[in-house]
Amino acid sequence: MKIKINDRDLATKPGETIFQVCLRNGIKIPTLCGMKGIHEGVCRICVVECGGRLITSCNTKVSAGMEIATESEKISQARRINLELLWADHAGKCVTCKKNQRCELQNLATEQKIENFHFIPRKEEMTDRENLDLLKDNRSRVVVDEGNPCVSRTTELCVECRRCLNICPTKEFSFNNRAGDVVVGTPYGKPLDCIFCGQCVKNCPTGALTDKNDLDRIIGELDDLKKMAVALVDPAVLESVVLEQPEIGSVGKLIGVLKALGFEKVFDSGFGMELALEKMAQAIKTSGKGNLMLSHCPSFNLLVDKYYPQFKGNILDVANPDELMAEAVKNGYAKRHKIDPQAIVVISISSCVAKKKDRSGNLDYVLTVWELGRLIRRKNLKLEEIKNAGFSKDFAVKNEKSKDMIRMGGAAEMLAKKLKCKYVVADGVPQIKSILQDLDKGRIKTKIIECMVCPGGCVNGGGQSR
Amino acid sequence: MKKETKIITKNWGRINPGRIDDYIAAGGYRALRKFVAEMAPQSVLEEIKISGLCGRGGAGFPTGRKLECVALEKSKEKYFICNLDESEPGTYKDRSIVDNDPHMLLEGIIIGALTVGARKAFIYINGNYQKEIEILERAVEQAQEKNFLGENILGSKYGLEMEIFAGAGAYVCGEETALLNSIEGNRGEPKARPPYPTQCGLFGRPTAINNAETIANIPWIVENGGKAYAKIGSKKSPGTKLFIVNGSVKNSDVFEAPLGIKLGDLIGKCAGGIQPGKEFWFAQVGGSSGRLALEKDLKLKLEYDCEAKIPLGSGAVLVVDKTADIHELLLSWTGFFRRESCGKCVPCREGTFRLWEIAKRLRDGEVSERDVAAIRDILWTLNNTTFCPLGKFAATAFGDALENFQNEIYRISK
Repeated sequence: MKIKINDRDLATKPGETIFQVCLRNGIKIPTLCGMKGIHEGVCRICVVECGGRLITSCNTKVSAGMEIATESEKISQARRINLELLWADHAGKCVTCKKNQRCELQNLATEQKIENFHFIPRKEEMTDRENLDLLKDNRSRVVVDEGNPCVSRTTELCVECRRCLNICPTKEFSFNNRAGDVVVGTPYGKPLDCIFCGQCVKNCPTGALTDKNDLDRIIGELDDLKKMAVALVDPAVLESVVLEQPEIGSVGKLIGVLKALGFEKVFDSGFGMELALEKMAQAIKTSGKGNLMLSHCPSFNLLVDKYYPQFKGNILDVANPDELMAEAVKNGYAKRHKIDPQAIVVISISSCVAKKKDRSGNLDYVLTVWELGRLIRRKNLKLEEIKNAGFSKDFAVKNEKSKDMIRMGGAAEMLAKKLKCKYVVADGVPQIKSILQDLDKGRIKTKIIECMVCPGGCVNGGGQSR
Repeated sequence: MKKETKIITKNWGRINPGRIDDYIAAGGYRALRKFVAEMAPQSVLEEIKISGLCGRGGAGFPTGRKLECVALEKSKEKYFICNLDESEPGTYKDRSIVDNDPHMLLEGIIIGALTVGARKAFIYINGNYQKEIEILERAVEQAQEKNFLGENILGSKYGLEMEIFAGAGAYVCGEETALLNSIEGNRGEPKARPPYPTQCGLFGRPTAINNAETIANIPWIVENGGKAYAKIGSKKSPGTKLFIVNGSVKNSDVFEAPLGIKLGDLIGKCAGGIQPGKEFWFAQVGGSSGRLALEKDLKLKLEYDCEAKIPLGSGAVLVVDKTADIHELLLSWTGFFRRESCGKCVPCREGTFRLWEIAKRLRDGEVSERDVAAIRDILWTLNNTTFCPLGKFAATAFGDALENFQNEIYRISK
């Protein structure tokens, strides 16, 4: 089937949307609410003109004989007004926002040159008290959720794009209230208590959903000369740190940057993975039971805890690699070098949001990739001038292959090879659910089960940059 | 003047709505007997198509075509839904049907559902209609006792289960896809179309959704034939319609009149004209979402016609006299849509809110230059870019008022 876009004849596949055709042919259409695979058509910014009418390109399928324009006066008017309306409802605190310069709404506003705010009344224009109350009324339903260790939520910055509603594997979010009062909320407005996979944080276009951290305290610890800051670098991070800061193209550069930030020692988390693999192998060997579940995905542990408590006993009693390694640093390493463990601050640079909840004392902080980016921006580092460096001594990784643990199936494969037993792997909550249901009905008999909540494993973790 | 044909209101005031026997004595359920005994679903569809009956909820989509779409779908399960989520301000025609003659509605639903091959029918009723829910519950019980509902209806192979589903009184749930979402247990907000409900509706099954008044016409059509129905009313949209006339008229009430009646006749003859001492200013046709008809528009015919200058909508007519305060009216319209927007898409959620803010400032006489531009922008984006028709409705009356009464709204002295 052929359609015309901007007077160009383009071939299309059946069932494709206009947006997909444009994307394939390099025609840029701005959008806010859509993400890969899920387009609801609520932001009304991706509109295109077809036969004089404005239609959303993201959820309109192509049909024969369509003639579409992606730029016209009408289209830019629609985009401008809708963006301005969104902007008027937005807090407008860009400078202090966590997502400053990384915000899709901000980028769109820059792109479309939104500069006037003619939807918001000015204070001096109003003589009436009632009208001032009206201004406040728009802010009256703001929900701030700081009641959990992983995700901070503030609806003041929310643009109601529904990405989090759609991406959430356990459907924790929904719209509360109606019309202008709509906020993204949890059932009964309770603090978020989910499996903290962090996919919502990763996909949020603004600063409404961010992962929680006390950056000020971390900076304080880094600058404290009496304390020794230790960074554990997760191999998964390397793939996405480039997206956050394009200058950091290699491990060496990343280590250099971390040292410039104030970390005294930078270790490879691969060592922790080796430790974890060893411990898990030991645990599997000594356990006579079958259907043992690997425990290195904190989000999966939470999922079982919350929704499938009957399988709690199947999960191996081995802490996650970062935790094991932090323990090694604070005990063995500190003793060897005669350092007071109290003076060591272990910070994991990770792609995992759930690890923030899964800490048990040794691991002090978990920094995600985009938080690392924020830290770099806060510190105003001149990245071009920083030289490459190597990992600190001690904790050398013996077998590079053990780093495959960050990919779905990596750990199970290695363990199964070593112990010569069968294994099953799953990624993403729908798959995990079906496996657990099968398990419940006794349809699966195997030795090792590996489940990772983020699709594809830690490489697509919630803490990665996009 | 010709003798007026009454279709929907023929039993009103004559029978006790709580007694099924009264309805049967007045000739009720004859159409269902005829359908069961001698008609195939196909022939009922033909009759409805010939009759030219179209949707009375506001859009005026041909009912025959809609039912045919569902009937042609090959699916084991199909649903038939009666839309009684009447929440348009000043509209109470469907409620009046239930209040006066609930069994006529039930008979229509039963015939409609069996025609499309559904074995389950829903009545989606506005949750604020407590009294009507009770009336319908009793009526369904009585119909089951008489074997008009349930398995083997009147000894035939047909079977139908009926459920009364009370919504929470949201305006947007009158929209088909939002209504489906509401029954499915989701948040009441519209879904993207296509797929249309006739192909993929309730729980993913083909579903026919019709307004209560539309359905109440079906027994008459089955009994008297589509040709007889097509003779009533105007050519473009045959039949009669319930009109609700409110505002500055002598008797505001529900009137049944043939489609194609002139607006002036409806106000002057049916409703007894303007109240003494008052002067006609304009009339709003079709509830809060309706357009404004001025003095010169009184000769226009009221009918379902996509090119009509004044769309009929739900059939509510609000007559406004010259003592009315246009600013209060604007505030009431915008306040309604600000409250009833579901909040899904940007222009409707933010636009209706800003429009309401501006309407408040208009009332207080604090409107600025920038507001004038903002009104223009908001009305434009509501008209052109919203997800469902609600956004468009929100802009209709405001836009019309602005066009016609600009001087009054901006307090410009001539």
